[in-house]
Amino acid sequence: MTRHYTAAEVVTLVDDLTERRLQVFVREQIVQPLQTDSGPAYRDADIARLRLLCDLLEGYELKGDAMHLVMSLVDQLNTARGDMRALMHAVAEEPDEVRLRIHRIVHRLRD
Amino acid sequence: MAADPYAALGLTKSATDAEIKKAYRTIAKEAHPDLNPDPVAAERFKTASAAYDLLKDPDQRRRFDAGEIDGQGQENPQRRYYREHAEASGHPYSQGYGFEGDPDLSDVFADLFGRRGRGFGAHPGAQDMRGQDYRFNLEIDFITAAKGGKARVSLPEGGDLEVAIPEGVRDGQTIRLRGKGGRGMGRGGAGDAYLTIAIAPHAQFNRDGNDVSVTLAIAMDEAVLGAKVPVPTIDGPVNLTIPRGATTGQRLRLRGRGIKGGDQHVELKIVMPPAIDEDLARFMEEWRKDHAYDPRKGGAS
Repeated sequence: MTRHYTAAEVVTLVDDLTERRLQVFVREQIVQPLQTDSGPAYRDADIARLRLLCDLLEGYELKGDAMHLVMSLVDQLNTARGDMRALMHAVAEEPDEVRLRIHRIVHRLRD
Repeated sequence: MAADPYAALGLTKSATDAEIKKAYRTIAKEAHPDLNPDPVAAERFKTASAAYDLLKDPDQRRRFDAGEIDGQGQENPQRRYYREHAEASGHPYSQGYGFEGDPDLSDVFADLFGRRGRGFGAHPGAQDMRGQDYRFNLEIDFITAAKGGKARVSLPEGGDLEVAIPEGVRDGQTIRLRGKGGRGMGRGGAGDAYLTIAIAPHAQFNRDGNDVSVTLAIAMDEAVLGAKVPVPTIDGPVNLTIPRGATTGQRLRLRGRGIKGGDQHVELKIVMPPAIDEDLARFMEEWRKDHAYDPRKGGAS
């Protein structure tokens, strides 16, 4: 069950977020809320993303292209981490002989 | 020599083969060294000829357009993007990306890739390998899940393992038992065991998060007059005050009697006596003469 929030709720929930900043993030597609019949709907992930965006904006004065670049790298890294996590769990569950083969190959490629 | 053969012919990249030929012919006519003694013209002719030689060959033209060769037809050195350096092992700027300190996966990660924090390439020896992770499904009863307790799982290599079930464990939750997986090789540590918990349904209790609910049967007289009746909770029966005039579907709350400080909800259900005796029937007939009511009025019928 995912909760959805309206733009007004999001602005009150996220420190440092103003109506105007939210509009800019959405227009620049840094945040992409669901489009519903009753207007844009923000998910928990959008709220967390907006908190990070506000922190980057306040702490590093990131905006525009620089913000796009940083968020693209953050998203790539986290997707890679998620894939890597799944892969590591899968490998760890394999019996010894399979893992030994994988180990040898990884060590050869990465040493 | 012109860096850009198109410019040498006064053209751009979009020029057609016919335009290239025509431009070359025009320059050749004006600047041919046999016809025009001006050294500037001779230089212009040379440049245009070289450009035409390159562009009239469709393959050479394609390779120039793709940046594979320069205006002299020389191979361009392949540009190596930073990424090719950065992905390589032992890269001077390589960084951890969050698994070194990961409570679940730091051992698995170090086993495969070494400890990056302490100088990259600090791999364990080839003979050292962490043990296998085991995954089990474990069904436990409702009360053990609610209150915590012990359960046993049998291990693939024989024997069994006593497992402490934490209080309030949820259906589908995974419990990790560190070092309870397969034995490691060499200096490699043991793997972990993961238990995915399934909670068997209970005859009386239902669960929603840390709240527990039960349906409590009450007698007609208890409903009319109110009463104090025992109701089961996960910690044993407690007395619940039924208010006068209670009705089926009414929910009462026992605060803090659920799981880990959650509540227990008691839904009342009026149960008729097993048989309607003469006394009751007579009383009801008298009663309804003056007190009949329509329970379907006002609400959903």
